[in-house]
Amino acid sequence: MRTDRLGFAYTPERFAVRDLSFSLRRGEVFGLLGRNGAGKTTTVRLLTTLLPPTEGSGLLFGKDLKSCGRAERARMGVVLQSESLDFVTVERNLTLYAFLWGVPRELAKSRAEEMLELFELEPVRHRKPWSLSGGERRRFQVARELMHEMELLFLDEPTVGLDALTRKRILDYLAGRAKQGLTIVFTTHILQEADQLCDRIGVLQAGRLRAVGPPGEIKRRYRGPRSVEAEFERALTDEERRELLDRLRVGGEGFELLSATGGLLLFRARNAEDLVGGVVRWAHARSVELARLSVRETSLEEAFVTLVSEDPASGPETKEELA
Amino acid sequence: MRVPAVVRLVARNFAATLDPITLLVMFGQPAFLIVILGTMFNQLIPSVGASGSYVAFLVPGMIASQMITGAVLAGRIFWLDRRWAMVEQIFSGPFLRAEYLAALLLTALLFSLVGVGLMVLVALPLIGVTALSASEILVVLGTIALGSLFFGGLLIAIGGRIRSANLYFTIQSFLQYFLIFISTVYYPVTSSTPLVLRGIVYSNPLTYAANTVRDAFTHSFGPSDLIAAGVLSCLAVVSFGLAVLSFRSLELGPVQ
Repeated sequence: MRTDRLGFAYTPERFAVRDLSFSLRRGEVFGLLGRNGAGKTTTVRLLTTLLPPTEGSGLLFGKDLKSCGRAERARMGVVLQSESLDFVTVERNLTLYAFLWGVPRELAKSRAEEMLELFELEPVRHRKPWSLSGGERRRFQVARELMHEMELLFLDEPTVGLDALTRKRILDYLAGRAKQGLTIVFTTHILQEADQLCDRIGVLQAGRLRAVGPPGEIKRRYRGPRSVEAEFERALTDEERRELLDRLRVGGEGFELLSATGGLLLFRARNAEDLVGGVVRWAHARSVELARLSVRETSLEEAFVTLVSEDPASGPETKEELA
Repeated sequence: MRVPAVVRLVARNFAATLDPITLLVMFGQPAFLIVILGTMFNQLIPSVGASGSYVAFLVPGMIASQMITGAVLAGRIFWLDRRWAMVEQIFSGPFLRAEYLAALLLTALLFSLVGVGLMVLVALPLIGVTALSASEILVVLGTIALGSLFFGGLLIAIGGRIRSANLYFTIQSFLQYFLIFISTVYYPVTSSTPLVLRGIVYSNPLTYAANTVRDAFTHSFGPSDLIAAGVLSCLAVVSFGLAVLSFRSLELGPVQ
């Protein structure tokens, strides 16, 4: 899949998403992140041909997105954000959905058993979906979509309402399927799972794609102030602490001292590397032994917050994907 | 061999939405009316025109009303599919919107025909075997098909534009009950019927269908049945067109 300035506008003045330019590679897991209303679901609808693009273009399985039809949709699966269900039991829902997709009866039955077990739906197999808990319904929906073969899978917030253990189980399963060649696009608000699962992520803000790249690159590029912990072998005197802070300020390192207890100092610094250098130089000059000096890595969540806190009117941060 | 998409969708419509209670209500009610209303009014009304007994008059009317039953079911399936996001889910799969629409209309038609069969069975002990010629059977089935297409298309067109369950089901109830009552399903329209009522009854497509089915049962086809077939055909085409238009601009997403 490849898109070029793809967009959807309700009216010429009111757009939902705009300038979406990115590509998907076979077997990769692509995470679509963004705040509520950023355009994630609209993007999924555009990419799954549920919405016709009003601007730009795209290729799905090598075919123009606007002319994609049954053949292209038959090669992909979609787990929508809104709950969709039929008024039959969980098990019947699975086999009925497989029937809709033309899966042979025997295969559908064995796959239904597999999905019921994998998604821990065995105890509720004879219940109607609307009587399930929110988490069970979400599991059911993902399980149902996996009843048929596909090359590309879209999951719109598949882990909403799931406990950590179930989430891990599903994510592990999806990671396994991706290794077998399934391309996955998924949206989530749980950035930790995007960090774990995604090969690349795209961050949407106010309908525009602000950044696309591997999670590590996004974190590096958009890391905000980081925490630096400096622990000395002994407690610093007030004079020593003042001197260290003066030295760091003179050095121009933008930082904030969060706490100082005995020999342990906790900083928050925009440029953590410079701060670390300043601390090491001062300790060396004063012959004060450093027991530990650590910089906490920026989480994807922190990078995300930094990124979406920027002015959205400044437009896409970059047209090129991050390396 | 792969089953065609429309057939798969029709099978799914039946499998996913037909529960015993729904069947009992949708078919039980007209069957109940034939047995109870027919038997009770038979005592009061000695004869009705060419039909003879009141129950013999009522049965063709109830058969014609099955087109409404089928249409209501199709509308209900469509509305529930919208409410529970199955429309969106199906459209994201290997189906065309036209196939989904065709499957809904086919479901309405099949359900109406099943209803016709059941009404005939229920009526057997009351009016005996009515031997219809092949052409009369064809006319009855054709009338039911056109009527199902008209009412089904209309409900689907309305269901595609409305986002409130309350409003949709109010309109559906109106169609189901009001249209049956202001038609010739339960009673004949004669020269002594007040002009206003006569006008209202003859502006109702169900009247034409009921009259045609009744004429088949009394072996008395006439020019009015040709007019009825023409009116129903035109209305069916218009209604189908409205349903297509509604589908083309169908807004996907949650409805209440």
